[in-house]
Amino acid sequence: MSRYIGQSLPRRDARLKATGEARFTADLSLPFMLHAAVLRSPYPHARIVRLDTSRAERLPGVKAVLTARDTSGVKWGVFRYTRDQEFLAREKVRYVGEEVAAVAAESEDIAREALELIEVEYEILPAVFDPLSAVADDAPRIHDHAERNINIHVPIHVGDVDRAFDECDYVHTERTVSEEESYFMTEPYAVLAHCDRQGTVEVWMPNASPHTKAKGLANALGLPVSKVHVRHVSVGGAFGGRSDMFPGEYIAARLSQMTQRPVKLVYTREENSIAVRQGHSMVVESTFGFKRDGTLHAVDVTAYMDGGAYSSTGPIATSVPFLCFEQTYRVPNVRYNGYRVYTNKPIRGMIRTHGRAWACNVDMQLDLAAAALGLDPVEIRRRNAVRTGDTTPTQSKIFKMDSLATIKAVAEASRFREKWGKLPKWRGIGIGCVSVMSGFPMGIRGGSAAMVKFDEDAGVTVISGVVDNGQGNENVVLQIAAEALGVAPGAIQLVASDTEVTPIDQGAYSQATTLCSGNAVRLACEDARRQIFEIASDMLEAAEEDLELEDGKVFVRGSPSRAVPLRNVIRMGLLKGKNVIGHGSFGPNVDQTREWIKNPKGQLAAAFSYGSAVVEVEVDPETGFVRVLDAWVAHDCGKAINPKEVEGQMEGGLAMGGHGGILLEACKWHEGANLNPDFLGYKVPLAPDMPPIHPFIVESEDPFGPFGAKEGGLSISMCTAQAYSNAIANAIGTHIREFPHTPDRVLEAIEKRAVTGDP
Amino acid sequence: MNEARKSPPKKMVVELEVNGTRHELLVEPRRTLLEVLREELGLTGAKEGCGLGACGTCTVLMDGRPVRACLTLAVEAQGASILTVEGLADTVADREPGALHPIQEAFVDAHGVQCGFCTPGMILAAKALLDEEPDPDEARIREALGGQVCRCTGYTKIVEAVKLAARRLSGEEVKA
Ligand code: FES
Ligand code: FES
Repeated sequence: MSRYIGQSLPRRDARLKATGEARFTADLSLPFMLHAAVLRSPYPHARIVRLDTSRAERLPGVKAVLTARDTSGVKWGVFRYTRDQEFLAREKVRYVGEEVAAVAAESEDIAREALELIEVEYEILPAVFDPLSAVADDAPRIHDHAERNINIHVPIHVGDVDRAFDECDYVHTERTVSEEESYFMTEPYAVLAHCDRQGTVEVWMPNASPHTKAKGLANALGLPVSKVHVRHVSVGGAFGGRSDMFPGEYIAARLSQMTQRPVKLVYTREENSIAVRQGHSMVVESTFGFKRDGTLHAVDVTAYMDGGAYSSTGPIATSVPFLCFEQTYRVPNVRYNGYRVYTNKPIRGMIRTHGRAWACNVDMQLDLAAAALGLDPVEIRRRNAVRTGDTTPTQSKIFKMDSLATIKAVAEASRFREKWGKLPKWRGIGIGCVSVMSGFPMGIRGGSAAMVKFDEDAGVTVISGVVDNGQGNENVVLQIAAEALGVAPGAIQLVASDTEVTPIDQGAYSQATTLCSGNAVRLACEDARRQIFEIASDMLEAAEEDLELEDGKVFVRGSPSRAVPLRNVIRMGLLKGKNVIGHGSFGPNVDQTREWIKNPKGQLAAAFSYGSAVVEVEVDPETGFVRVLDAWVAHDCGKAINPKEVEGQMEGGLAMGGHGGILLEACKWHEGANLNPDFLGYKVPLAPDMPPIHPFIVESEDPFGPFGAKEGGLSISMCTAQAYSNAIANAIGTHIREFPHTPDRVLEAIEKRAVTGDP
Repeated sequence: MNEARKSPPKKMVVELEVNGTRHELLVEPRRTLLEVLREELGLTGAKEGCGLGACGTCTVLMDGRPVRACLTLAVEAQGASILTVEGLADTVADREPGALHPIQEAFVDAHGVQCGFCTPGMILAAKALLDEEPDPDEARIREALGGQVCRCTGYTKIVEAVKLAARRLSGEEVKA
């Protein structure tokens, strides 16, 4: 019986965060610390003709000035074949905000003053700001190696799409367009680095994978990985925007190497928006073909994603929207061409609702087909939902996924079918579904390991690479360890995400933490139990397999009075030279030969979650303003380790993906300059905006997840976007093809509908 | 030859009380209250999420009222009494060592904390509300927190935390 799994225990880190004791990177300081600032490109595309730092170097208080001249020139890219970014621009700059030089000085004021003394002469080059212009034959070339500025092309073709369309009873083409979203995690990026006189570099920064950062930094600094220690620190949100390497951590570490003093670099909100990551803008063209009974038979999608100036997570980012689709709705014949295109804009990464134009296009197609074929939106999803036992077009087996239960939960709770077609004018209801993978093949960095050790008083310390960006991952592994060891989570210490101490972990960016880090901790605890029982079996004169461990006691099953305190067992072990140290290592059951571009087939993830959402809206036809009346969300997370925390992920997902993603969020531009990098110009949802949210947790008991658990929450940030968009369409009688659906776009759609009558 | 630095502005004496302790500080007039709290006094509970008055992560109480510490100059706080998240628990009379303020407890118990970056500001904004209105309805809570951005939670559990705190502070509900 579960004592700690499935319990909504308060999170361990919450007390520290509620008292202000939790330390985020900008809160840290070290003795003799210097402060850094970065000079950024004012142009979207320009050659650096002259770069003179001599005046800045002479400013009193300046300790070092860093340019590409002082670097090894190692380029960063998530994959060997995507290494295209130097951490400081060498010959040319490719976006407004790119790093050109950096200063370390006695104070931030001096550092900023020094930036003004750096002289840079640029030769301005023609620039290009959207993916469709960038692939034109006469477009300016941003990287020498990329013809037509195509950074990544993911081609997937399964079945015979052209023939399959001929077999369809209903075929329809749609084009959707979305602007970029921005992460707006509340913590702006910051980094503190300290290179000591043994050449060891310690670094603190918000991150989703300290081991990825340590490896990237070690490469760039020319050090072995063991000399780079990325430390644990509280992280103020990530949402995909802290995943790969950023110039900031290199700059701080390199300046610290040059000065032999700690260096702190704190980005402004604006720098965080422009010079870390943004979401991709997209143009998506889809053709969907259905049989008369509503089964989806063929799909052809082409997507152009604006990748900005460098690759970042490009191959993954170009694939994931398609993969989420093929896991969500069955389709035997499918062709996908995803193009990630270089432009002279900031670098794009994965974001919590990656690909709203893609995902919403799919669910728009489903609603239009349902209407044409005489089905309702719930029924067409029920008929097409991927479920347990299915295999996706790219050959992932779905071992356990209760998609239908999530659809049923939201459809019934919202009384969807009773409301469909019967709501008052300007009211609408919509549904969306999405499946998210718990991880993907990541080679040597795809699994997790953990250790558990005991003090002489039986105190427990778990050592795990688990990364927590705020979503509660640390608490997940604590509850798992508690369950496996029969010890209250409050009595367990956790050492997490410190590359000097903790083993490699896949990080918190592929939705694999619960599955991989959780399993590694479970296995480590089970290993410790075995060792404990081995020692205790002599003490209790009982067979190891007859022993139980609970509440700090080892006892014989069925006769609880034959017991010995765990403390005594641990001490006996120490006496006998058998120090109990549990070890667990876990790699997910994925096909490591699967590759994003060259070989996009094989088992993608060990588990897949499924989310469904329904929202009901009211549109003001005078202003175009959308009021969301109610939202119902259901998520198959396998097993909720901590149900309230899973709900929190679902609610936060709805806020960012649904509410922000469909009603508010978009980056604005002028000639490659982001006009709204701050909270004043970029609207994020606030407390008064939000609808009541009714969360439902579906537990399909995953066969591979720890205690049945898999990814918890991300599905909702995506499927709520689809539900919001469809609900608005239902309210105004026509779909909006541009994302987000801001009031002006809602009004425009209402007016156009009045003229053309198009659905 | 060295470049000449721009001459640093003259400093002024500012007296203020922070979490019950009186301080006399020498600060440049352009320094914000947030800079003084974080850098001079080491009180890093108030965060700088934007520096523009738009996110609320820097919210502290000045003479009981919530202010954006990033927009408040330290010299404007002359003579004022400031409460930051670090001092909140001490406002509870006769508390056990290590005990939290009931609002902090409620944020922990109601799962109102995820990444925690917005939490100090949120909690102080909630305190200002509950000091004025001990029994606010949900719409009033949402309005009072309307200037505090949270990117993680969707606000549901933060609102529940404030409701729970109100019930506990009024004695209507006792913490188990
Ligand atoms: S930092 Fe003061 S409001 Fe954002
Ligand atoms: S908990 Fe992360 S911003 Fe509120």
